[in-house]
Amino acid sequence: MKIRKVLTSITFRYIARYVMALSATVFLLLAFLYGYFSYTYFSELSASIVDELDTIELVYRGQSIPGVEQYIDDRLAINEIDPLYYLVSDAQGNKVAGNLPVSPRYREFSGGWMGFQIDLLEWGGSTEAEFLARAITLDEGFRAVVAGNYADAVEKTELVFRTLFRAMIATLILGLTGGFISASATLDRIERLKSELSTVIRGGPGQRLQLGRELGSVRELAVMMNDILDQMELLMQGVRSVSDNIAHDLRTPLTRMRNHLSQLRSDLETASKADVDSIIEECDELLTSFNALLRISALEAGSALSGGADIELGALLRDVVELYEPVAEERGIDIRFECHQVYYCKGEIDLLFQMFANLVDNAVKYTPSQGSVELRLQTRPAQNDVPGMHSIIIADSGAGIPPAERKNVFRRFYRVEASRGEKPGHGLGLSLVQAIVHYHRGGIELGSNNPGLLVRVKLPQL
Amino acid sequence: MKVLLIEDDKDVGGFICAELSAAGHSCVHKHNGEDGLREALCGGHDVLVVDRMLPLMDGLTVIKTLRDGGFASPIIVLSALADVDDRVRGLHSGADDYLTKPFSFVELLARLEVLHRRASTPAPNTITSLTVGDMHMDLLKQEVVRGETKITLQPREYKLLEYLMRHAGQVVTRAMLLEHVWGYHFDPQTNVIDVHVSRLRRKIDRGFDTELLLTVRGAGYSLGAQA
Repeated sequence: MKIRKVLTSITFRYIARYVMALSATVFLLLAFLYGYFSYTYFSELSASIVDELDTIELVYRGQSIPGVEQYIDDRLAINEIDPLYYLVSDAQGNKVAGNLPVSPRYREFSGGWMGFQIDLLEWGGSTEAEFLARAITLDEGFRAVVAGNYADAVEKTELVFRTLFRAMIATLILGLTGGFISASATLDRIERLKSELSTVIRGGPGQRLQLGRELGSVRELAVMMNDILDQMELLMQGVRSVSDNIAHDLRTPLTRMRNHLSQLRSDLETASKADVDSIIEECDELLTSFNALLRISALEAGSALSGGADIELGALLRDVVELYEPVAEERGIDIRFECHQVYYCKGEIDLLFQMFANLVDNAVKYTPSQGSVELRLQTRPAQNDVPGMHSIIIADSGAGIPPAERKNVFRRFYRVEASRGEKPGHGLGLSLVQAIVHYHRGGIELGSNNPGLLVRVKLPQL
Repeated sequence: MKVLLIEDDKDVGGFICAELSAAGHSCVHKHNGEDGLREALCGGHDVLVVDRMLPLMDGLTVIKTLRDGGFASPIIVLSALADVDDRVRGLHSGADDYLTKPFSFVELLARLEVLHRRASTPAPNTITSLTVGDMHMDLLKQEVVRGETKITLQPREYKLLEYLMRHAGQVVTRAMLLEHVWGYHFDPQTNVIDVHVSRLRRKIDRGFDTELLLTVRGAGYSLGAQA
């Protein structure tokens, strides 16, 4: 099973392909070298044999047989590295001159070439040797043969070839074995990772891959997988806290509704319309929550504002302040907004009103009595490439939001812990504000008013 | 009040019809745009409630076709689309009011009754004064008198009271007040409207034997009539 796994692993198949391709290349190279060497050697040998025969024929024409004998003796006297061999015989086949034995068994090749083998030991040579020979027939039945020994060269070439061939086989075997080993090592690491991963799958979101003695890219891979697991856990926590908050926000009105209903049941005879009305109010609260949630989703899912009407921000803000003035007054809060200039921006008036109403609502809600809420409208004209921005500040003298919480308050259903259950609200107000600001291609930031909260909304100029 | 409801969702349609009947109105329910248009052209309906998304012919086309043909009855559009854009387009097509799903039936009923009343009261613009009980509003002098007492109101309080008086005896929801008195369409997070109304109530009801401005639980307010 293991062997089969290794053999089918990517690493092994890769190495095997590589080794085989390498061997094939080497084999082709050797074949070419062998052919080239053999061809060069034989063509040189045959050329010198043909030359020698021409010379012998010339000598015979000039000085007849004695001259040839003299010439051959002279040639044999010179100790050459690759000597040629000679045989001159008469019409009856008797040897007249030369150092070859009389008529060895010739093999006929094409083009007048012949080959033969003799055991050189018999006449003082080294060992049995292969010869290439060519003959010419002279007058009166005389015949001259010149031969060259090629066994040496061929043997040397063959030896090299055989050695290299064996080396190639060895490379193949060693290479494949090495491939097998390294593949199985890689496979082991992957198997370890796999078993770690299955532990993680079984063990739940808290589990991580053990890095242990892993090195290099496998370690990096494991680290990255751990990072992915970290992110997943974070997201899951986010989802969980959102659903926790939903559960919390829905549970309170539902519990109240349930209590009302059970009370209503026991008072069924005397139950008044007011009891039913209060249940209906609870339902309305739930519906408001869901409506807000749906509006946020719709705003976030859609593309940003295109076009829109020209809106006078000062008038809009005055309307918001006017709407909230009685509430503020009732709670003893001083609410102020002064703006003597006319600023325009593009937008959806109802959405912008909703946004500022939510912000002012929050400011009034979280400011203690005798406190103050102040709205300011400033504008920075366009400079060079930087587009002009209106900035609307809503500053209160309430408790403010600690810096660590300032990002969180925009999350759906998130409520600063201290205010959960204390102040009315469904934790969606600021989420909606942010969605509307983004829809208008603006920005929002929270800061401190020392003490209190300072909200700065930026909207692009017309 | 005879209502024609054009709505393809059987559950929502059935619910609205049942509630309308329970409130003492008659309701004809059509399930697609073409049937609805044909039924509306036959006449005899006081108010139309038209869903935007309808099979065969969409709601806005139905309304446009009706209005182009001189159809005068008030129409309310229902829509699952919460975009502000859609609201504007809905009203431009000739509808008189626009409600986004999910809505409470109380809201729909209040709006239907207001529209119906407006349509059946001839030429309301020629009115120069409004009277509810012993309270009298002079629209030209912008003065309010209850019994013998002159009541001083802030401009917004005056607008609020005027709207309530124009719809005296009818249920007016908070969303309707926001739309018509403040001119904005939005969901207040808290009871801002209630505070405005209770201020107004202090001014017009304090020191008098009968309360004119009543709270209708779960719905809104009503001036001068028991809901």
